[in-house]
Amino acid sequence: MKRILAAVLAILIFIVFALAFAKIPFGEKMSTYPNYTEPLLNSTSNMSLPQHYLTYGKKETGATNMVTAIVVDYRGFDTLGEVTVLFLAATGVGSLMYVEDKQRRRVRKSNAVVETGSKLLFGFIILFGGYIFIHGHLTPGGGFPGGAVIASAFLLLYLAYPKFHANHKRLNVSESLAGLTYVIVGLLGLVLAGYFLYNFLPFGIPTYLFSAGVIPVIYTAIGVKVGSELTGIVDAMMGVRE
Amino acid sequence: MEKVSKANRFVYAFLIFIVIWCGFTFSPGIRPEQYLEEFLAGIVFSLIAAAFSYEHLSQRGLYNLSPHRVWWFLKYIPVFIWAMIKANLDVAYRVLHPARPIRPGIVRIRTDIKSPVGKLALANSITLTPGTMTMQIVDDKYYIHWIYVHSEDEKEAGEMIKGEFEPYLKEVFE
Repeated sequence: MKRILAAVLAILIFIVFALAFAKIPFGEKMSTYPNYTEPLLNSTSNMSLPQHYLTYGKKETGATNMVTAIVVDYRGFDTLGEVTVLFLAATGVGSLMYVEDKQRRRVRKSNAVVETGSKLLFGFIILFGGYIFIHGHLTPGGGFPGGAVIASAFLLLYLAYPKFHANHKRLNVSESLAGLTYVIVGLLGLVLAGYFLYNFLPFGIPTYLFSAGVIPVIYTAIGVKVGSELTGIVDAMMGVRE
Repeated sequence: MEKVSKANRFVYAFLIFIVIWCGFTFSPGIRPEQYLEEFLAGIVFSLIAAAFSYEHLSQRGLYNLSPHRVWWFLKYIPVFIWAMIKANLDVAYRVLHPARPIRPGIVRIRTDIKSPVGKLALANSITLTPGTMTMQIVDDKYYIHWIYVHSEDEKEAGEMIKGEFEPYLKEVFE
């Protein structure tokens, strides 16, 4: 009886979603989108929001990657919130997994191939993570993927070496410094131009590395922060091993 | 194996990383001043990555780049590719043959290579040539899964499996 009820519910939900999605104009001209920004008084008032981003985004933010421009510049507050959520997750895992007397867990040694291979790869993965987040305003990716890649390098060492441990104090310091950088950049915008997270640095020439104002700075901070937070989560979950 | 200083290993890691970074960031239409910016950022990031990983990356630092080693490595590449083509055709033959001539088994062979990276390279060469797969390395013993066990003798099997690669890898990594 329960199963039939669940199945009927799932089908009902599916029908509702299908009806709703049927009205979304996928792949049609952008002018058919509903006009969200009707009352805007500037020259772009006749455009829908996505159209505005694509037309004026490069001029207004200096970034060639529009997703980055939206995530860090137009909608910077959301990203600040996301970073906070991740920070809370890391803190939560840390406090849940905390144990007073640290019981050592015995871990079996892994294969020689795995050990040597992960040692070799570690540096390259870190370099590639750095590449991803420093080029956030030019290529796909950004702070979150870059940070996750860096954390995966540490995860590799954690899995290959029973005794490996990232230094907790250094992790905390880098995490806090990166978070502070983000907030300070935002506050500087508030001081210099009157908006929190205002893009106050010169835009430079699009497609150059040193362009798009504060976006690369913020993405570097996010990359470092996400990397050290995820590493901290992995560290807490691994526990103390022998 | 000679002991080398930490600075030496750091510089080696930095050099490797900056070359990789240049590979990441170069594209044909790029302007020189644009590339200069990328290169500057590359120096900074390579230094950071090297600081994280120079102890893991190499034991011998810049000695890895000696002309002798590089030359033997370059000679090794065509040998490896040729072995790979041969072995792939061999496996294709075993798959397509109606009688399916396979005689799977695990054999143990020994190697003279001492350095861990050399052992890794040999293990990967054996695995990447189909028909043989490295399962486990214990000290100098390799346990290898073979699609057709031609020989159960340790020496002879070793000759057949690693014979093509070992002399080259020994020159590169010893």
